Amino acid sequence: MTATEDRELRRTLHSTLGSVQPPPVPLEAIIRRGKGIRLRRAGAAIGAMGLAGVIAVASLALHGSQRPTVPPAAPAITAGPDGVFASGTADGHPWRLALQNIADPGYPCLPGVTINGAYADWVYPDPGSKGVVGLGPALPGFGFGFIQLPADINGVIVNGRHNVPAVTVAACGDRYHIVGFAYSLAEPLRVTVTNPPPGWSRAITMPAVSTQPPGPATTTETPGLWINTDSASREAPYQTLASGAQPGGQGWIIKVQLGTGGECYEFDAPGPLGSAQMGYCGPVSTPDGPEIIMALPLGFPSGTGATGYAVQVSPRTARVKAVLSNGSSELAALRVVDGRKYAAFIVPDPLRLSRLIWLDARGRVIATTTALPQYGYVQFHP
Amino acid sequence: MTEPRDELAAVPDIIDTDGGEDFSAFATSRWPGLVRLAFGLTGDRWLAEDIAQTALARAYVAWRRVSQADDPDAYLHRILVNASNRRFRRRRVTEQPGDPPETPVEGPADLVGERAALLAALHQLPPRQRAVVVLRYWQDLTDAQIAATLGCSPGTVRSQLSRALAKLRESPALGEGDDR
Repeated sequence: MTATEDRELRRTLHSTLGSVQPPPVPLEAIIRRGKGIRLRRAGAAIGAMGLAGVIAVASLALHGSQRPTVPPAAPAITAGPDGVFASGTADGHPWRLALQNIADPGYPCLPGVTINGAYADWVYPDPGSKGVVGLGPALPGFGFGFIQLPADINGVIVNGRHNVPAVTVAACGDRYHIVGFAYSLAEPLRVTVTNPPPGWSRAITMPAVSTQPPGPATTTETPGLWINTDSASREAPYQTLASGAQPGGQGWIIKVQLGTGGECYEFDAPGPLGSAQMGYCGPVSTPDGPEIIMALPLGFPSGTGATGYAVQVSPRTARVKAVLSNGSSELAALRVVDGRKYAAFIVPDPLRLSRLIWLDARGRVIATTTALPQYGYVQFHP
Repeated sequence: MTEPRDELAAVPDIIDTDGGEDFSAFATSRWPGLVRLAFGLTGDRWLAEDIAQTALARAYVAWRRVSQADDPDAYLHRILVNASNRRFRRRRVTEQPGDPPETPVEGPADLVGERAALLAALHQLPPRQRAVVVLRYWQDLTDAQIAATLGCSPGTVRSQLSRALAKLRESPALGEGDDR
């Protein structure tokens, strides 16, 4: 190759690639995908243990000033049926963090840390595991966090001024030494321990609360989506929610994976031109929490191609009816995965989903909504 | 020729993703370059962003390892190139490779033609050769650095580059030697 060719190729390549103007870095999506990768890498069965027995409760109060009032005393150990390990008020709104079974009644116990009983972070005993969550417009400006601690750490100090005691809680047959707290998002979160044991540093780095859209300034917290960093990996394998064939004969499958990174859905449609795929992770709902309606358009962002839908439904839901834009409807059968009930179906292009209807075992309408996502998820309270 | 190995296969199961702020800064600063590099490897804008996301997500998973690497960028490039190759391997099972990219190229008319021609020419190359060209002429990496990124020997890099350039010479993208 001549020097001129060499120079010309370099110039053209720089001109070509330099003309690409990338969008802002999708940091939240990257971290969410990273969690998904981590989850997929480590398979583990979800423990089918006995129902939780709650040992302890500690409390932390936050008031309108965002100054928590925490007694720097020994942990208050209280047995309780609901697994609350931290609670208080923030800006006048009550909050509570609990370790509870998040499986539907009658299914194997599935331990999760929940905020106000609504959103879960699947957990397992693992000192160092920690998570944060925001409640979005329901309680803007506040984050809520938990840290699993080794038995020889009695608590943490939040932002240098609030001593928060750790307590030991049992759920699904395992014991957790855990601390929970609320904090203002107006300042950087700093969590420290006084006498760190070997292998632990004085400062504990916490993840940042998930925001919508990703970014620092004008965003709000994503409601209920836990951002969890674990020092070990564990996941449930992807499991099929529904499968079938599109009108043209192309097969499809919708899968879900419950893990420490949330609830991740995947819609695959292998075809003659290659496998089309769309995935998205959302909050983990509890039996009493909002239902998550997830839309997975294969053609995003072009808008062409089938859209897969998955709905994590309440225990009393027996069927979900999907009404499409041409007036037709289909009944989606439910499937229980890891003790949680889901409906999944696809809407072929160019049809759109117009309405979802929840039915009980007798065919009576429990709820209906037309507020449906085209991509990603919405939360719905039936 | 050695196939690129999966970096994550060597990452221990105990993964520490602490240092979120460091990762955020790292990802933000590298994102534009990664997208452009991925675009050079794929010729597809959307795919490039997706692969760049994948690379950073994998870096997030192995953040301790990446942040402590002597050259985190080299580590990241390796992840990205391998992600691109894996994507290509998956697609080519059912697709006919060799079609020019459909991604529109923006700019003045003469540049548009030139850039489109280069993208089309790059797309005709096998993935490994394409990677060698982009890493050499866009990233300005040495043979040794390219070899480390691709998981092959410097000799393989040179032979791949030689074959790639021979093919590219047939493309109008290289011009006729005029110094513009």
